[in-house]
Amino acid sequence: MYLPPVAHVASNTTIRRVRSLPVPGTITVNVNELVEARDIVGEAEYAPHHQFIDIAQSLGIPASEVPRYLTRERGDRVEQGEIIAGPAGFPRRSVRAPADGRIAAVTNGMILFEIRQDPYLLSAGYPGEVVGSDGRLSVTIENSGALVQGVWGNGQEDIGVMRIVGEGPRDRLLTDQLNVELRGAVLVAGICDHPAPLQQASDISVRGIILGGLSSDLIPIAESLSYPIVVIDGFGSVPLNQAAFDLLNENKGREAALDARPAVPFDPHRPEVIIPLPVANIADLPEDLIPLAPGVRVRVTRQPNNSEVGIVEEVLDKAVSYPSGILARSARVDLESRGSTNVPLANLEILQ
Amino acid sequence: MMSSLPSAEIILAIDVGSVNTRASLFDVIDGRYRLVATSEAQSTAGPPLMDLSEGVRLAMDHVQAITGRRLIDESDNLILPTTGFGAGVDLLVASVSAGPRVKTILAGLMPGVSMTSVRRLADSTYIDVVGEISLADNRKIEEQVDLIISQQPDLILAAGGTDNGAHNPISQLLEILKLALGLMSEGQRPQVVFAGNRSLGALVTDQLAERTQVSLMPNVRPSIEIEDLAPARLQLAETLFAIRSKRISGFQELKQWTGGVLLPSAEAFGRLVRYLSKIYDPDKGVLGVDLGSSQTTIAAAFEGELNLTVNTELGIGSSILGLLEEGNLQDILRWIPIDVGESEVRDYIYTKAVHPSSLPTTPHDLQIEMAIARQIIRLALKKARKSWPKGKNSRSRLTLPPIEPILAAGATLARAPKPGQTVLMLLDALQPTGVTTLVLDPYSLGSALGSTAGPVPMATVQLLEAGVLVSLGTAVSPVGKGRAGRKVLSYRLDREDGSALLSGDVLYGELVRLPLGPGQTGRLTLEPERGFDVGYGSLGRSATLRVSGGLVGLIIDARGRPIVLPRERELQKEINQRWQWEIESEK
Repeated sequence: MYLPPVAHVASNTTIRRVRSLPVPGTITVNVNELVEARDIVGEAEYAPHHQFIDIAQSLGIPASEVPRYLTRERGDRVEQGEIIAGPAGFPRRSVRAPADGRIAAVTNGMILFEIRQDPYLLSAGYPGEVVGSDGRLSVTIENSGALVQGVWGNGQEDIGVMRIVGEGPRDRLLTDQLNVELRGAVLVAGICDHPAPLQQASDISVRGIILGGLSSDLIPIAESLSYPIVVIDGFGSVPLNQAAFDLLNENKGREAALDARPAVPFDPHRPEVIIPLPVANIADLPEDLIPLAPGVRVRVTRQPNNSEVGIVEEVLDKAVSYPSGILARSARVDLESRGSTNVPLANLEILQ
Repeated sequence: MMSSLPSAEIILAIDVGSVNTRASLFDVIDGRYRLVATSEAQSTAGPPLMDLSEGVRLAMDHVQAITGRRLIDESDNLILPTTGFGAGVDLLVASVSAGPRVKTILAGLMPGVSMTSVRRLADSTYIDVVGEISLADNRKIEEQVDLIISQQPDLILAAGGTDNGAHNPISQLLEILKLALGLMSEGQRPQVVFAGNRSLGALVTDQLAERTQVSLMPNVRPSIEIEDLAPARLQLAETLFAIRSKRISGFQELKQWTGGVLLPSAEAFGRLVRYLSKIYDPDKGVLGVDLGSSQTTIAAAFEGELNLTVNTELGIGSSILGLLEEGNLQDILRWIPIDVGESEVRDYIYTKAVHPSSLPTTPHDLQIEMAIARQIIRLALKKARKSWPKGKNSRSRLTLPPIEPILAAGATLARAPKPGQTVLMLLDALQPTGVTTLVLDPYSLGSALGSTAGPVPMATVQLLEAGVLVSLGTAVSPVGKGRAGRKVLSYRLDREDGSALLSGDVLYGELVRLPLGPGQTGRLTLEPERGFDVGYGSLGRSATLRVSGGLVGLIIDARGRPIVLPRERELQKEINQRWQWEIESEK
């Protein structure tokens, strides 16, 4: 039994995602509540900045006497300028909070002051119903719709109406295809191999771009942009796989939520596009565990035939030799554009 | 003799990597251990299963299918010990390298002492260092506290103080840790491992145990002069497995099957290298290179002492992006003999990062992958040599010290289509000097042999004697400066099977391959020119030595050390084409 990685390209499925805060905080929505993509569902104080305030020295008192002169306790929230210790000594001296924040600790005559930062805000990411929450770290949101998963994302998230740019899945994204009519849209294109279209898309305030292939030279630029970019198939001149293109094309004009947070080893998350759809019947959750077998739809994950979609005809018993000279366990796959060909199992991903 | 037979005759060795899980069955046949079967299944430690057991069972299933021997009973449990009906095994040994990053903050006292040792300890296992704090730190205490909180580490690895040394400095360090831990939420707090002054164990526990789990380990620096990483490394492995167990299932079951001894794969590989150093030339070191998907392990042993370096940020799969952070693309391009641009190499690297197990099926892709492998090994070696003993490290020697043999493991090296390709990758990446044997681990048994060496050392000895590792050949690499086309040495090879004598001159810049097949031996006479050293004590000194053959034969690498490639891309391509042609054609 061989269990290839599974990428979902599904027209109608139940999408259930756990959204988590980086550190415990507060989940601000309740189970059964309906949320929109940009709704804040949780917040937390993340990576606070601390500062020691030497109370003993400021007040001119021994460290052991500091607790006596504190006007606020450990854990208290204070505002900038508020007196936190004193008055003491002569002349009467006080210590004021240097900023809005919290008294995090009192130690050796000093206060460790936590300077308040903007809280980390967790958005819902896509519209749906809250189906679970632990109240302080994570919330589970569910909806029905179409789902297209990719291989890379630039770390951003947003939602917008989907528009197809160019002639098809192999077409390059060009600046002259981009105009103000696309403001606020999520663009679908084949390949991007030049920085200018990415920059122009930023200038006209698109809400995101879905690509088949992205030249890896552009990754630093893509990572600096404020809108999400989801790469579905790979790096370089890799077209958008036909199955994904067809599904996105069918749904053009609908809202698509892009989660371009990158994949991390040993984490099931993949960059993805969620297209919420009203459905008559509740669909199943997509399968993540599918043995490779005849009849299964697959995508080739590297050259030659990178991003080509096909159907497995046979999982071969004997290893196959390839032009590079490598021997590999393989499957015979009927590729949509090329017909029957052998592909190493390691170069296949199930599309489901 | 029956009395010499070990108690565990049938041994199953499991190694769980991030891409593949391997099962190897060893049995005593005619009084000696033999490899009966080895199989490979995809690892299931990653998503969606996040349970390494399934991959282990699949690999064991394959072994069952190959041998007909039942290993698993109806309840899906390992049959241990063997039954009278030819089922089960007497012993299971296992090693694991698969698992998520263990984000770690290192904490120590002094930069050149405990910090150096704790960094070396971290470098010798599957740890990703995300920050360091020390008493010599110029940052304010609150900045160090903020670092710990913002990085959200899984582990704080602390050391400091010689055994029975002063308390005060450690107390200051503990204050910082205690403060940071106190500011983190329960459930987010990292475990703390303390591998410092043994006499302070109670103090460390007293200060930190109410806030997090604290483990005390042997001091990595028992005295200023002595560094001793091995005992702490073994115990640290337990902690790392425990941390990884929070996200991946199956560790516990596998450990139970082993009787409680689960090793990191790198540790097991290192044991094998250390063992080899005891049986080979004591004047030389032994070097093992394991090029994995998510890490590259460099194990070097000198006089029985192991130096182990695990590069978790450098691998040929999921960790390949580390290459872009540590080197530039020109360093990869220079090894590629075909028309390829920087963009294409970068695209290749990113593709490999998102599809780490994918394979190069075209000659074009294979050339890129092999060039990437060279550069990963070079970078990993450079890092590893920093912790090698004085006289062997990069500070004291620019070239590699004498090594015998070099052991190559990992699928890219072990399964290159042609053995000559593996030899060239090793020579280019490691650039050995003098005379050395290149040995390949074609069945990925390195970790299995190392795991077995603990409970049944005789099994490892006999399996090595049985030839589970394969010789690629003997490499002769003269050191010296020359000009292209100038004579470097004369050679004469008398093969002991009576084949025709081979002799000739080797010119600077040439790679010469002489036929000397597996199992064949010969007497090789080398007469280097003045200015060249073949490892026999001085420049120009001649030597006659007994050499053994291998899949590639005898290789004389007269390209100089270090190998200097032309700057022009066209010339780089030409010279790489020539070297590939030379390594694949016998004189």
